[in-house]
Amino acid sequence: MFRTRFLLGAGAAAAALALAGCSVGGESDDASDGPTELTFWHGYTEADGDVLEQIVDEFNASQDEVVISTEIKTWAVIDDTLLPALSAGDGPDIVAMPAERLPVYAARGAFASLDDFYADPDSNTANLNPGAVEMETVEGSRYGVPTGFVPLAVYYNKALFEAAGISEPPATWDEWVTTAKSLTVDGNGDGTPEQYGVVLPDHATVANGLWPSLFYGNDGDIVEGGDTAVIDSPENAETLEFWRSAIVDDKISPTGVDGIGADEVFSSGKAAMTVGGPWMVFIAGDNGIDYGIAPIPAGPEAQAASAIGVSMAITAQDDVAKQEAAEQFFAYFLNDENSVAWSLGSGWPPLRTDIPADAVSENATVAALTEQAELGRPLLPGVVNSVDVLTAVDELTQKVIAGGDIEALLAEAQTAIQTALDD
Amino acid sequence: MTTATAIRRRSGLRPSTVLATLALVFTTAFVLLPIAIIVFTAFKPVAEVNAYPPTLLPTEWTLDNLARIMQELPFARLVLNSFIFAGGVTLFALVFDSLAAYALARMDFTGQRVLLVAIIASLMIPFQATLIPVYQLVSQLDWVNTYAGLIAPRAADAFGIFFLRQFFLALPRDIDSAARIDGASEFRIFRSIVLPNAVPALLTLAIFTFVNNWNDLLWPLVFTTESEMGTITSGLTLLTGPGGIIPYGVMMAGSLIAVLPLVIAFLLVQRRFIESIATTGLK
Amino acid sequence: MSTQNHIVRRYRPAAPLGGRRVAPASRQRSITALAFLAPALIILAAFVAWPALSALRLSFTDASGFGKEEFVGFGNYVEVFTQPDILNAVVNTVWYTVLFTPTAVLVALGLALLLNNPHLPFRSFFRTALFLPFIVSLAVGAFAWSYLIDPQIGLLNYWLNGLGVRIGNVLQDPVLAMPMVALVAVWKNFGFYFVIFLAGLQDIPASLYEAARVDGAGPWSRFRNVTVPLLSNTFAFVVIFAMIAALQAFDQIYVMTGGGPYGSTQTVVMEIYESGFRKLELGFASALSYVLLIATLLLSAAQFVFFGRREKDLS
Repeated sequence: MFRTRFLLGAGAAAAALALAGCSVGGESDDASDGPTELTFWHGYTEADGDVLEQIVDEFNASQDEVVISTEIKTWAVIDDTLLPALSAGDGPDIVAMPAERLPVYAARGAFASLDDFYADPDSNTANLNPGAVEMETVEGSRYGVPTGFVPLAVYYNKALFEAAGISEPPATWDEWVTTAKSLTVDGNGDGTPEQYGVVLPDHATVANGLWPSLFYGNDGDIVEGGDTAVIDSPENAETLEFWRSAIVDDKISPTGVDGIGADEVFSSGKAAMTVGGPWMVFIAGDNGIDYGIAPIPAGPEAQAASAIGVSMAITAQDDVAKQEAAEQFFAYFLNDENSVAWSLGSGWPPLRTDIPADAVSENATVAALTEQAELGRPLLPGVVNSVDVLTAVDELTQKVIAGGDIEALLAEAQTAIQTALDD
Repeated sequence: MTTATAIRRRSGLRPSTVLATLALVFTTAFVLLPIAIIVFTAFKPVAEVNAYPPTLLPTEWTLDNLARIMQELPFARLVLNSFIFAGGVTLFALVFDSLAAYALARMDFTGQRVLLVAIIASLMIPFQATLIPVYQLVSQLDWVNTYAGLIAPRAADAFGIFFLRQFFLALPRDIDSAARIDGASEFRIFRSIVLPNAVPALLTLAIFTFVNNWNDLLWPLVFTTESEMGTITSGLTLLTGPGGIIPYGVMMAGSLIAVLPLVIAFLLVQRRFIESIATTGLK
Repeated sequence: MSTQNHIVRRYRPAAPLGGRRVAPASRQRSITALAFLAPALIILAAFVAWPALSALRLSFTDASGFGKEEFVGFGNYVEVFTQPDILNAVVNTVWYTVLFTPTAVLVALGLALLLNNPHLPFRSFFRTALFLPFIVSLAVGAFAWSYLIDPQIGLLNYWLNGLGVRIGNVLQDPVLAMPMVALVAVWKNFGFYFVIFLAGLQDIPASLYEAARVDGAGPWSRFRNVTVPLLSNTFAFVVIFAMIAALQAFDQIYVMTGGGPYGSTQTVVMEIYESGFRKLELGFASALSYVLLIATLLLSAAQFVFFGRREKDLS
């Protein structure tokens, strides 16, 4: 249960923990006297958590109708405990979760629809990144507000690049492979490189987004419109062929690793590049690696990257007063000032496209990621059974890298995914 | 008896004993390796944890991992909660299980077999399936975030009842028939004759129950939404690192710290535990 | 043969697992028995039986645990028996049980027999050391094992490579992953079975071995005619409970492989967890739980009969 990968930031959780101790239970208080009390579960356990707590505190101080108290759990724990809590009607009023987990709860009626909220000009939602809003949309309605949306990016080891005389990160797939080849070192000639150019996991990849990102690059996709499997396409077959040849034949990457393994390989200096999220900054820092950030190189048809997303939603157990109170907080969270504060504090790019890039220039990482924000595409938006779809993708990529027949495996994945979507 | 002991002593260092010892040494080393890796990794700096070639012992010992845990978690409170939770469950379960086991093993009543089968069957339903109805009940009792909510649902346990029943069955019947003729009550027989003879079984069950509850992760996470009501085991989930990935070193340090009170408790009772196994009552 | 009868006559073995037939009970005794049973029964009724019935009801609905639910008849059960994923999980669970149960039981029994030898040096050290893994939680143990066999930085992997043994990426190998997760469970649990066997062995009166020795029985004959019959109840108990535990395998699989690679370590309880807590299909998860319950009941009943018959053969 400990090593499941869920998103996010860095820093210390001590302050956040202390705050969590002060929380109030989920019982509804009499609305007539005193402020509306809301509980808010989230998984921001690090420096990002401190900033979020600060925003919540300031919100509580800014008015006297609503008091929000937070409960900090990890994302995995939220996923394990939300269902029992909802089943007994004592869940949180607001809950944040990885974006691909939202549709299944929304489709089963756990969350209140926010369509009216989005229609309200004072909600500060008009300029949200459209990709981020797409991940909140299930069967035509919006059920959440994004708290994070960041495309996967390439993190590279500057020292290894310099040693090989490479100054620029690759911009296209072909450059990516060429660069990786020249960074792959098999000193003793035993066929197993001691240093790899890149580490490309073949399953359980970072936020499940590596292979979707590669598919996008050749104009492929996995699901269209939330209900149609489109993985079995000639474009995806080409993509798989291209990367299998690079990984297996050219040995630019170790095989059989997962996303967490990829972080280990990169942070131990055994690979020059990896695909990761903003937290790679801290992992690299902890391991003394001087890193650079570049967008995922453009494929033959497009440049795009799967985004890591986090959403927050209002549980349907709430009455109108609580729902309105929660919406009041959402609008506050998305206002100009907090958009910038949250972006800088979490290390993720701003969620609103109208926040000028120079507003976050004080943090180079955030600035770099902000420039890439438009490349981000939500992962499986509106797909209720993302569990089975992602399993099918993992099985596909793992078997392809192990040398399986691409056509047959794509057909198999197509069937499995369509079955999951029809469920 | 004396002759037998003499025979044994003479044959003290037979080749078979040497072989057995060697086999045990290898098995024990293999069994202890993962525990050693937990202990030593807890003292390794981050860079060394991911280093290649790997080493068993840290080349540079650090207390950073342990310090981080002590600093980030309300350690004393969580350990106290763990003791109350695991200790409470163990205490209640031992009393309730042994009472029930006594009735099932040494008293005759209608429906005994049916009841026994039902109790065993209840072990076969995975707890993932009943967790939600149990939670709903605890929530209705307003016991979420209380020790009662953590302990009560486990205050009796089918495995314990069956385990003790087997043990009680094996105790010769003659030991209590004399007392029964003397007019002793069933409870008296249970308390002063059966229980004292069942110490090894009770201790084994106590250790089993205590360890399982101490180590349980999902249960305290689900039944306590306030982190200060959690246990040390569930508290460890709050130790995330960048990207939700906990560095191995911190993870191992956390495991070590979580299991240490348990090891100490075990070492304290284990003398008694093993002695009692070795000198089981009557036979 | 005479040795055996000789012994059995002198020592009445522990009662069989199924219990013995009892004389008709008096009303008074039934009431007393009920008083002994009441505390445990109240707890079990409230927190085991009622939730189990509640789950049974859910298994006939499309419930997700909250909100609306509709009656769907045997729909979930039909799905359980027709989904290829579930069949795969069943096959995996059986394979896991076959790997785990005999290994754990035999390792525990073997070590208990070795340690029952009174001339062995450092007995109490060995006993304590062998029991230690049981104290570590399965999730933590699984974590440590994953680290040890990590293909990049694993110490055990590195040592084995040094000896010329290449185990590769065990957890990503569809053939080896299941034996590996079973091994971790054996590692964690054998200590408990070992202690139970040790207690059982200590319960066998030394006088029986003396008697057998006097009758001229060698070590094998003493094992066959004294240890085996007198340990058979303990053995049956351990086997049945090891099997029940194996059929519910979850923790270390969740940590080590998440059910992969290619679903090769996906067990029934992993499916129950995924469908209940990840896909919010609580009705289906409940139906699957009941199918598992019934299968486990049948398997256990078969073992009770098997062990029961063997006991009769012996006496």
